[in-house]
Amino acid sequence: MPFMEGTITIVQESRFQMTDDRGASHLFSLSPHAAADPSQLAPLAAQQSRIRVKFREGDNIIGAIAQSISVMTGGEAR
Amino acid sequence: MSFHPRVQDHTQSTFDHVIADESELTAGCKIEPGKSYGFFTDTTVCIGCKACEVACKEWNNLPADNLGLTGQSFDNTGALSANTWRHVAFVERSGCGGVRDMGEVPFQSAWLMMSDVCKHCHNAPCLEACPTGALFRTEFDTVVVQQDICNGCGYCVPACPFGVIDVSTNDGKAHKCTLCYDRLKGGLEPACSKSCPTDSIQFGELGDLQQRAAERVDTLHGLGVTSAYLYGTPDAPGSTGGLGHLGAFFLLTERPEVYNLPVAPTRPADRVAPSLMTGLLTMAGLALAATAVLSRRT
Repeated sequence: MPFMEGTITIVQESRFQMTDDRGASHLFSLSPHAAADPSQLAPLAAQQSRIRVKFREGDNIIGAIAQSISVMTGGEAR
Repeated sequence: MSFHPRVQDHTQSTFDHVIADESELTAGCKIEPGKSYGFFTDTTVCIGCKACEVACKEWNNLPADNLGLTGQSFDNTGALSANTWRHVAFVERSGCGGVRDMGEVPFQSAWLMMSDVCKHCHNAPCLEACPTGALFRTEFDTVVVQQDICNGCGYCVPACPFGVIDVSTNDGKAHKCTLCYDRLKGGLEPACSKSCPTDSIQFGELGDLQQRAAERVDTLHGLGVTSAYLYGTPDAPGSTGGLGHLGAFFLLTERPEVYNLPVAPTRPADRVAPSLMTGLLTMAGLALAATAVLSRRT
């Protein structure tokens, strides 16, 4: 499954924008099957946590569906 | 042109803070819980720029959808959906119905444009149909879906007489316009009305908007546009079938169906009792018939 790393910059309900290392922003919707709750996104954005998002492309939208989000800690994060 | 006196307090180009009660400066009304707020959309001044659609997508972080060309209009948005909460409809007309008919060159078409949105009905059928309570009425008299409670059952979708609410195939939840609930709580007017360059979309307290709309209709009638009328104000078309008034109402110059609006929308909850009675009477009739047939045999 493809993945991307970066920090969350905008959160709206279950949708969030993640900015990668190149400064490009990507739009994600949280999958209903992801082991994460929309209410967990805002704290990740506030803390500027570095995260890894595994995703699939959305149906008929310019955006992706986040299948899993993991917070990168210590050596993983740059 | 007149400005609110508080405008003079904010003359700088960039801000390091949020302006308190900014809606007072941009929409002329202070947003306070307990009052009813909504939209008045005057279709006669809509230029189809779609700034409202873009502003809505930007603020709400909604993805672009309906990729490709519809091939049937300059409007490629198509319709309201789970990812499109504002839709500027382009209705092509051959002639303007008397307004500029004589001034048009042959074969030139005319356009009716209308920025469609959730109507935030007074008696909202989507809210009545929701079994989980995910749809609720806010302190600003608007109707909002709570994403963490919605289970994606979709009962709200057929309940809406305007075809507004939609369940996303991507996250499996119902979505629609929130009338920028988060912005209202912060004292900001909704993104779409703030971005409208012609003030076709006006935000404010419902009572004020309805009065403003009635005055606009009178003005248009005085200018010779006798076809102008309101859709969604109390006792007007659109406020039928037990819906009450609409929180987002429109000034139209053509029949509602031309804009893809229902002529007489109704509240499905009003049909529950007659449907139940019809079912019970049918069952009783069948039971009587069966009893009659069986008793004759014996």
